[in-house]
Amino acid sequence: MAKASNLTRTDLDSSFESQLSVSSRTSNRSLRVAEKERRKNQTGDPFVLALKYFSEVEAGTPCSGNDVLERNLVLVERVGLSRGLPPEAISVMLDYAMSLRMGGGTCVRVLKFLIPATVVPQEAVVRAVSWLCVGKIAISTQVLFLRWVLTVFDMIDSKDHLRAIYGFIFSFVTEENLSPYICHLLYLLTRRESVRPFRVRKLLDLQTKMGRQPFLLHLLSLYKVFYPELVTLALPSRMRSGFKNHNSTWKVALSAVQKRNKVQVSSDISLTLRLKDKTNSRKRKLNHLELPSLSSSIQSNSSSSRSRKVFSLEQLHSFPQLLDNLHCIELPSQMGSLLGSSLALCYLDYVQDDSAFLRLNFWLGHALHEEFLFCSGDGGSGSSSEALHFLNRLLSTQHFLQEGFSSTEGFLYKFLNVWDGSLLRPQILGLLSDIPVVPSSCISQLLFEPLMQLFFTSTLFFKCSVIDCLNNMLLEWLTWHSVYALEDGLDISLNSHTPMNMTLSGFMDSVMELVRFVGRLATVGLQLEGCHCLLLSFILDFYETVCDMFLKYGLPLVVMPPAGVFYPALFATDPVSVDRLSYIMYRYKKNLTSAKCQQQETKAFHISRQTCQEFNHYLLFMVSCLWNSKMFLPGMAIEVDQELLALSKVPEPWTSFDLIHHPAFLGCALDFHHKCWPERKDIDFNSIKAAKQWNWYMEFLFSQGFQGLQQFVQSSINRRSVAGISGQRGSQPTSR
Amino acid sequence: MEERNSTEETPRNNALAQRRSKSYRQSMRSCVEATHLAYTSGLLTALRIPRSRKAPKSCDITKQVDPDQVALLVKKEWQLSYVTPLYQFRHTQLKSYSKQLSAFIVSEKQQGLAIEVGQELGFKVNFSVVLGLAETDKDAETVFIQILSKQAFSAKDDAQKVVWSGWLTCVNGDLDYLRSLPLEFVSLPLFCTRGPESLTVLVKSWFEKTFDCCFGPLGINSTNLQWLASLWTGCHPTINIQYLKLVWTLPTLPPMDVTYTVHPQDAWELWDSMRQVDTTEDSISIDEVTGFIKGLQSHFFRHFRIDLSAGSLMQISTALGSSHHSGKIKIASPNYIPTILQLLTECALLKMPI
Repeated sequence: MAKASNLTRTDLDSSFESQLSVSSRTSNRSLRVAEKERRKNQTGDPFVLALKYFSEVEAGTPCSGNDVLERNLVLVERVGLSRGLPPEAISVMLDYAMSLRMGGGTCVRVLKFLIPATVVPQEAVVRAVSWLCVGKIAISTQVLFLRWVLTVFDMIDSKDHLRAIYGFIFSFVTEENLSPYICHLLYLLTRRESVRPFRVRKLLDLQTKMGRQPFLLHLLSLYKVFYPELVTLALPSRMRSGFKNHNSTWKVALSAVQKRNKVQVSSDISLTLRLKDKTNSRKRKLNHLELPSLSSSIQSNSSSSRSRKVFSLEQLHSFPQLLDNLHCIELPSQMGSLLGSSLALCYLDYVQDDSAFLRLNFWLGHALHEEFLFCSGDGGSGSSSEALHFLNRLLSTQHFLQEGFSSTEGFLYKFLNVWDGSLLRPQILGLLSDIPVVPSSCISQLLFEPLMQLFFTSTLFFKCSVIDCLNNMLLEWLTWHSVYALEDGLDISLNSHTPMNMTLSGFMDSVMELVRFVGRLATVGLQLEGCHCLLLSFILDFYETVCDMFLKYGLPLVVMPPAGVFYPALFATDPVSVDRLSYIMYRYKKNLTSAKCQQQETKAFHISRQTCQEFNHYLLFMVSCLWNSKMFLPGMAIEVDQELLALSKVPEPWTSFDLIHHPAFLGCALDFHHKCWPERKDIDFNSIKAAKQWNWYMEFLFSQGFQGLQQFVQSSINRRSVAGISGQRGSQPTSR
Repeated sequence: MEERNSTEETPRNNALAQRRSKSYRQSMRSCVEATHLAYTSGLLTALRIPRSRKAPKSCDITKQVDPDQVALLVKKEWQLSYVTPLYQFRHTQLKSYSKQLSAFIVSEKQQGLAIEVGQELGFKVNFSVVLGLAETDKDAETVFIQILSKQAFSAKDDAQKVVWSGWLTCVNGDLDYLRSLPLEFVSLPLFCTRGPESLTVLVKSWFEKTFDCCFGPLGINSTNLQWLASLWTGCHPTINIQYLKLVWTLPTLPPMDVTYTVHPQDAWELWDSMRQVDTTEDSISIDEVTGFIKGLQSHFFRHFRIDLSAGSLMQISTALGSSHHSGKIKIASPNYIPTILQLLTECALLKMPI
């Protein structure tokens, strides 16, 4: 028997590629050297001795009643099942078992406890496969071996030699009992170069013989990934689950060993194939919104890249894989499929391929147009949940890429004209706030006119959403400017080969237009809604962005809010709005003063005199109204005839909007009064105006959380001059 | 609905060829160029929808195009679709496309059975080029597709039966649009099909998978139907149109269909009277077309007291061809093929998403 096996082995060797046999020999030799080394060190170790026994035992040694064999076998079995076997032991035991030196029974027993502690040397597997070629092993044992290989597949140290004998493994595919396992193994080993027309034909022959077997189809579908021009098939939905697991025999022991050794070699307990499962079983007549599935393209295969190593996105499952294959990734046949995979989007962002983007834009634009504009066939978006899902996905994709697609932009400009303002509002407004900077020459026609119509005819809630959307849009533009303007310096002009020149001033014009537009919307909106505090809050959000454009985003532009926003906020009945307005004024002042400084230093830009005047007007009014109890005086922004005021019979009307009598702070004043003079029954607010109480009252207000007011007071009012009662309490520090 | 689409659509964007890049400059440039061509919906869009056309000239198309191929196109009713530009379509690869498509059809028909590409199958697909239809050098050559089916029990050399046919074409496509496309894209925006819907779906799906394009239905709106009516009537002196039939649908309850057939000579005389003297001989303006249709409508009103302008024009037909609102067209005479195809190419290009 030994003779026979030796003979076949040489036969095999000669039929292998020479390199393979050489390396397998060298590995044998190195193994032997290592053994020798170990023998010197630990001659006494029974485990080593047992391994030595198995590597040296003669073929044909009887196994029944062989105590030595039994003892050694039990020893190795115990180690295997408890700690797992080291690579050399796997190698020795696998060779021993597959050579059938002591018959099939031992072979099965050995295979069952062959639990690797760390890795499986691939040479051991290659040698075992060569034993398989001898053809003496019982079919059931062969199956057991293949199942073992599949179970430990991910622990095999490298697979290149296994791939080198792809043809040998493939030859087993005709064996009826083995072919499910062989197909699975081949599936794991297949590379582009292993797909050959004759193999395709063989598998198709098998298909005609055996019918539509899932394992054949899965292997063929992988072949299709590599060479869609060789084979084509449509997988029915029930066959999408993948290969079965074959790890039942070893699963428990393997996971126990791994837990014990804490190895993070992921033995793939679930080696299932990941095919995109179709979610919509319900067939829509026209499903524009369904993402195409990832599949490799026939186009690029058939041309230049045939010789090149290609990695298709279908096989891409992890980020490290993406990094490893970044140079040879192939774009799928339908770019729309990328929308479903963030890994693929990473790649798309990296390659910056014009035609890829164009393809994606064509697909996306088509889907959006057909669904929302042409509404062909099924009477519009009857399936709004699908549309919702689609737009949400689009939104998250755009956020992932941190920019909007041009087809989305083009679609939105058209859609705004027909939109009712309620269909999928959060999504549409979300997409709208992603659009890139629109040149000032057409911003009004494209964006403002349709938005204005919607704004004035819709509910309060919609108005708030629009202001919020425009705020986000402005934020994106400003962020984009602050990131990219730095690269190019302040003087941004285009390459000479384009006819148009877009400069920093062009960008500023657009921002200016946007801010002014929101100013107009806000003014009318507040009037329409009776200065609703929710709307006011969104408007103040917007101006919080606007007031910091210079300091936060480096854009030399200061735009003041219109009177229609400023006064409603100042006279608001809730303290929060007044507080926020104070904060905004404080930031305006910071921005203006630092812009002024820079202007004097560099003379690079110019803040218009009018803006400063506007600011001073507002500031003057705010201070005299809140602090100095002066109002309605000639020369101020709001003038009312004294006689008319007298007619209203309001006592001391000029005090009615100071920090005590202001409707927003009246409650605080009352509270403060109670705390100061708990015993007093009649309330005299004027007593708060005494210098000491006034200071306390300020501290009290600040302690209520009115940070904006605090910053405003600290920056704009000279508190040292608080000596006088109501005369010269404040002073205006800025007068430009 | 259709009319609204056509006026709102501004499908052209020179910037589409621009690199989408995250740099200040390029992003600026692309949006600036977009303003020039795509998004100024008023003035420039109005220019894009043609307000005048060349009068159809009878030409012997068979001089440029193989008569056998012309025979395949005429006298059949085609269902129209538009298709976005095909990525990496090559006219040199048609043979391999034939194999791919036939294998694809079989594998889709037999779910779960892998099919070797290039095998002899129940279906045979022929791709061929129809040379000579293209008018400018930017127009891609027309591609004709035929699907033949082998009868299960037919003798070996029996003629296979054509079960489906279709063609992709572009005649006098908008030059700016075609120029703006990168070289990898081939624009054949008009797709005409004839045959079972199931096969049409399969062919479309194969094109979508292979050339990353998208299909959508292409209707012919009232304005374009009116154009067709006028163009065909204008041909009467050269070729007898025999009749001019127009079908309106009026929005009554229940809807009322009005079929209005006009004697060819009367139609032509009305058309001739509409032709303004000052316009040059070979150009027709939209005003003349609307005037012509208004004339027909007022005549009808005088007799039946029904105002047809309240309804929508659904269908027109003459001996030269017929065309339906839902996107069906039949060209009976080969002599005016280019004129009709140009009009349809325009409609298809107006549907392009970018």
